[in-house]
Formats: sequence, C-alpha cells, structure tokens
Amino acid sequence: MGLTDLLNLLVAAILLAGIYTTMSMGMTVIYGVMKMVNLAHAGFMMLGAYFALELSQRTPIDPLAASVLAVPLFFLLGVATYWTMVRFVPVADEPTLPSLLLLFGLWLVLQNVGYIVWGADDRSILTAMTMATLRFGGITIPIIRLIVFGIAVLSFVALQLFLNHTWFGRSVRALTQNREAGQLVGIDTRRTAMLTFGLGIAFTGLAGALLATLYSFTPDFGASFMLRSFVIIVLGGLESFSGVAIGAVIVALIETFSILVVPASYQLAISFILLVVALLVLPGGIEGLLQRRRLQR
Amino acid sequence: MPIQQSRGPYLQAMRRLFFAITLALAVLGPWWSGSAAAQSAACPDSIRVGLVFPLTGREGRPGTYQVEGIKLAMEQINAKGGVNVKACGKRLPFKEIVYDDQSDQARSVQLAERTMSSDNVVAVLGGYSTVLGQAQSVVADRYQVPWITPGAAASAIFTQGRQWVFGTLTPVDVLGYTTMKFLGSLADQGKLEKGLKIAIVVENTDHGKDYVEGVTRWIKEHAGYFTVVFNESFQLGATDFSGLLQRVKAASADIFLSDAHLQDYITMHRQYTQTGLYHRMVSYGARGPEEPARKALGPAADYIFAGTWWEKGLPYKQVSAFTQAYKQKYGRDPDNFYPATAYDSVRVLAAAIETAGSLDRTAVRDALRKVRLTDSLMPGQVLEFQKNGQAMAPFVIVQNKPGDKVDFVYPEDTKTGEAVTKIPR
Repeated sequence: MGLTDLLNLLVAAILLAGIYTTMSMGMTVIYGVMKMVNLAHAGFMMLGAYFALELSQRTPIDPLAASVLAVPLFFLLGVATYWTMVRFVPVADEPTLPSLLLLFGLWLVLQNVGYIVWGADDRSILTAMTMATLRFGGITIPIIRLIVFGIAVLSFVALQLFLNHTWFGRSVRALTQNREAGQLVGIDTRRTAMLTFGLGIAFTGLAGALLATLYSFTPDFGASFMLRSFVIIVLGGLESFSGVAIGAVIVALIETFSILVVPASYQLAISFILLVVALLVLPGGIEGLLQRRRLQR
Repeated sequence: MPIQQSRGPYLQAMRRLFFAITLALAVLGPWWSGSAAAQSAACPDSIRVGLVFPLTGREGRPGTYQVEGIKLAMEQINAKGGVNVKACGKRLPFKEIVYDDQSDQARSVQLAERTMSSDNVVAVLGGYSTVLGQAQSVVADRYQVPWITPGAAASAIFTQGRQWVFGTLTPVDVLGYTTMKFLGSLADQGKLEKGLKIAIVVENTDHGKDYVEGVTRWIKEHAGYFTVVFNESFQLGATDFSGLLQRVKAASADIFLSDAHLQDYITMHRQYTQTGLYHRMVSYGARGPEEPARKALGPAADYIFAGTWWEKGLPYKQVSAFTQAYKQKYGRDPDNFYPATAYDSVRVLAAAIETAGSLDRTAVRDALRKVRLTDSLMPGQVLEFQKNGQAMAPFVIVQNKPGDKVDFVYPEDTKTGEAVTKIPR
C-alpha cells in the first residue's frame, strides 16, 4: 500500500471516529450520573434510524436535518422513559441487576415494536449526497461521511459547552464525580437524573439517525454499534466525555489499520481484545491514565 | 339342590366364557387399540409439515419470502384436493406448523428439534441462510425426519454423510464456478481480455469459502484466463469496510467478485462507491437485483451481475404461472430466488409422498432420493437430489441495468440482453 492509500485509511478512520463518539456519548452521560449501563442503547438508535427514514419519506426534510430534529424528540422520549420506568430502579453507585434487566427488556420491547411497525425489511436512506465524494489528489472523502462527522463534532462541542457553562451541566459533572457531595451542595439528584437520561437518549437518537444515512437497517439495527460503544466508554474511562472521544479515535484507528496485518474477518474480535486489554491494563481508561500522569507531575 | 346341580355347569360355562373374553380383551385389546391408533397416526386428516424460518431478525425478510413460497405451494396443492396418499386411500391436504427462529442459531436448532419431536410432522422445511441451515441440519438425522432446506446451500451441510437432509439450492461452489464460466465465455467472445486480474472478497462463512473454491477451481482448470490478485474474507454483518476496500483498491484488480448477504452487499457497495473504487465488472455472488438493494444503492447498483438460483424472468410457463399467483396472493413480485426454491421444496415433498404412497418418514425420505420434478421453477426445469441430498440445477447470470431492469446474460438459452463488460464510469 502506498502513502495515498494509508492517508485514505487515516481519513476513513477519523470519519468513523466521529460517529463512534456520538453513539458512545449518550451511554457515557447516563452511566456517569446514574451508574446505569444503557442496554436499550441499540433500541433507541434503531428508533433514531427509523425516525430519520420516516421524516425523510413523509416530509421534504433532508435526512441529515431530521437527525438534528431527533435531538429534542428523543430527549422527551428519554425523559418519558425515565419517568415511567427508570426512576423506580434503586439508586446505586454501580450498575445493578434490576437496571440491567429493565433496560435489556426495554431493548427487546423496542425491537419487537420495530418489527410490528416497520417489518423486517432492510431499509435505507438514499440522498443525492450518499454516493458523492470529494477528491484531493488521491484522497477520496465521502461527502455524507464528512457531513455526519461534522454534525458529530458539533454535537460533541455543544455537549462540552453545555456541561461546562450551565447549571445543569455542572450538576451532571458534580454527580458524575461524587453523588453524595453533589447532594450535600443541594443538587436535585432525581431531576438531574431525569434530564440526564433524556440527554443520553437524545444523543443516542441523533447517532441512530446519522447512522441511518450511512447503513441499511432493520429493527435489529444497533447491536454491533452498542458493543463498540461498550469498548469505547471502557477505553475512555466510563465517565469521561473527553475520554470517550479519545477512545472512539483509538477504536476507529485500530479497526481500520488492523486490516493491514489482521484479516478483515477478525475486525469485531479486535474490538473485544481491546476491551479485555483496557479492563486489564487500563481499568480507569484513558482518562484514568491521564489523571495519573497529571498527579505524577 | 337339583336346581343348583343343574345350574352348576351353566355357571361354570359362563365363568369360562367370561374368562375367555377377559383374556381376549387383555391380549388383543392393546393390539386392537394400538392398531387403530396406528391407523389414525398413519392416516391423519392432514400432512403436517414443520416450518422453521427466520421471520424476524437479520434474515427476517428472505425467511418471510420463503414461508410465503411454501404457503402458496401448499395452498395450490390443497386446492386440488391435496396429496394422494395410497396407504390412506385418499388425498390429504398439507398443514403447516410455522416457527420463527428470529435469525438466531440456537433458537433455530431448538425449534427444529421441537417440531420434529412434538408436532408429529412428516417432514420439516427450514433453514434460510447458510448459518441457520447448518445449525438445523444436525438434528434431522437424530430425529429421523426428512428435512428440506430451500435456503442454505453450503457444502458443509451435505458432506457429513447425513441421511435425512435435502436442499433445493445448488451448491455455492457451483455459483463461483458458473460466475467464472460466464467471465470465461466473455473472454472467449473477445468481450474481456485474457489475463485480467480479479479481487475476491467474501463473507467468513462456509458460503463464502465454497464460492472462493468454485472460482479458484475454474481458474486452475483454465490457465491463462484470469489471475486472482486479492483474496480476503470479512466478518458477516460488519459495520465498516473502509480498510478492506482500501486494500482492494491497492490491489488494482480489473474485476471485483464478492460473496455477501444482502445487508453486507448494501453496506459494502455504498462504501465501495464512496471510496471511489472502480472495476470493469462487479459481482456480489448471488446478490444483485434485490429491490431493497436497488433502492439503497440507486444507480450505483446498475451493471452489478449476480449468479442466481432463480429469477422471475426465466422463460418457462411454470415460472410465469408462479410469478402471477405469487403477485396475486402477496401483491408484489417474488423477490430473488427466496420464494421460488421454497415453493419447489413443497412440490418435491408432495411428489415424494405420492411416490412413497404413505406418510412413513423413512419411505418419504427414500422417495425424496428418487423423485424427479420435471416442471421445476429452477433453471433447467428439473429438480432432483444428488446422493448427498443436495439439488444440482444450473445457475443463471443476471445483470442489473439502468431503470431497475434486470437482464439474463448467461447461459445463451436464457439470454434477454447482452452483458455489459465495462461499467460506464
């Protein structure tokens, strides 16, 4: 492979990292505040994909604009899910069996609702931009992937600003760091948890709608992306938002470049090897490693 | 006393008679009732057939189409009075017992076992996709129930010496071999130059392995025609092919051959186009003309060629009749081979039951080995099983053309259009 091919691979990996970041962010937000692993993540991503499809088919709205519209709608859906189900799960400092079972059950319900409403047919969104590319010398950039990457970066920046410059954002960060201390300074934990769940689902819906412009999907959609999200957030350090972005870049780079030395059929195995390595060598993830470095200085 | 004396022999005789009747009932009763039960088991009201297919999940769509084909065939046979079962002295209708394995291997095996052991079925039809078919195939011999798969073709299913396993799909290595025969014929006609380079990318299943085996076997047998410059497998259901396609690009091949399931075909070809790849000819094995793929890929799907077990444009009157009946029942054309091979699996089972003359599973199994359906929907119009239980009908090659058109391009006797050997850029 020549230099141009390697640069093409690098571009592909970076574009992939953008979407990996968006899809993992929702899971991290929820885990950080509520210490719940959102096993319904794939189900909400699937709903996001069908939301983009329905909106683009029934209205003149572009599917990419539909993905942005998914944010408020899925926020409300997340709040409603919290209010009707999640709030009854006991609060804990680590994931509990009831929360895992509830969210896993919810995923199955969403999947089956998907089958009832949309059937098992492969659906996809084809726009004028889907197959269009930009070329710089030998470097080829798919326009749709570039736009999806742009939306992913913007949403990540917006989340960072939101977390750092709003009262609610500071509450989220405080509860992520220390629940008891947060309560002592007067943070309404239940309200924050409800809004956080909404925020997490909003990101998940956005990711699903964006993925729908890249892949074909059925109500089963999202499972393999959810598994990658696990790897990314473990690698990132579970509760760190910047760690997730770094984790996404690492996973995307390794998955893309490993093809040079490992057969493509082991791509998923590579993600899981990464997960095991992260759990053994970096239990605190990238963020934990960075914190240790900072303390050593 | 005299009265008593006179009644003594009478009572004794009555006792003996009663004893004899009781003994006869005790000895013959079970035989009689067993024989009656056996009679009713041998000649029930209907021919029960278990169907285990993925109606939901990843393979839900093709699985549903296969069940539709089966139901149509059963409905048509039942409308004519059913299948003539000589031992019962009457015609019996088919009755299907449908299970959805949700595209899950473990569930597929579990349901196949359940229907074979508990539903009193004469045969089981099931197993769309190689992976699910392979999973189900292991239980047929255990329960000694004829099992016919209309949707799994990997040779691994039929090379284990199993006695109760049948398949209406021609082996996948023949798909690879026919693809190469087609390309070779184009080279012979001067439409392709000899010595062109081929890149092969297949799913990491037995389906993929068999396809590569067929391609490479033809190339070995026909030196000087083509060379393979890239041969790699990928994870079934992968989410990203950028790295793999970049390597394909670097291989600078002239022809791109892949063997993929529908979702992978759509995802890969989208990324193929987005990566700016170009080959003179492109194939995804048996995939190509499916409606969801053409919707998802738009003009990028034009000129992709596919080796297929069946296409609705085959010039046989039974194919036209099937297509018309299917459209009438389901409101759409049959998509790809899925309902057609399933439809023929019921017809071949009906023929086997009539040949066997009974619903005895062993007799039906033996008849399946001999039966020859001469008005099959498959290319060549004949469906019969080889010694290993797998059918061996020829493949036809079709090519997508602009405007959602599909042309038969190989073999000559099915041709509806010329093969485009250089995809317009």
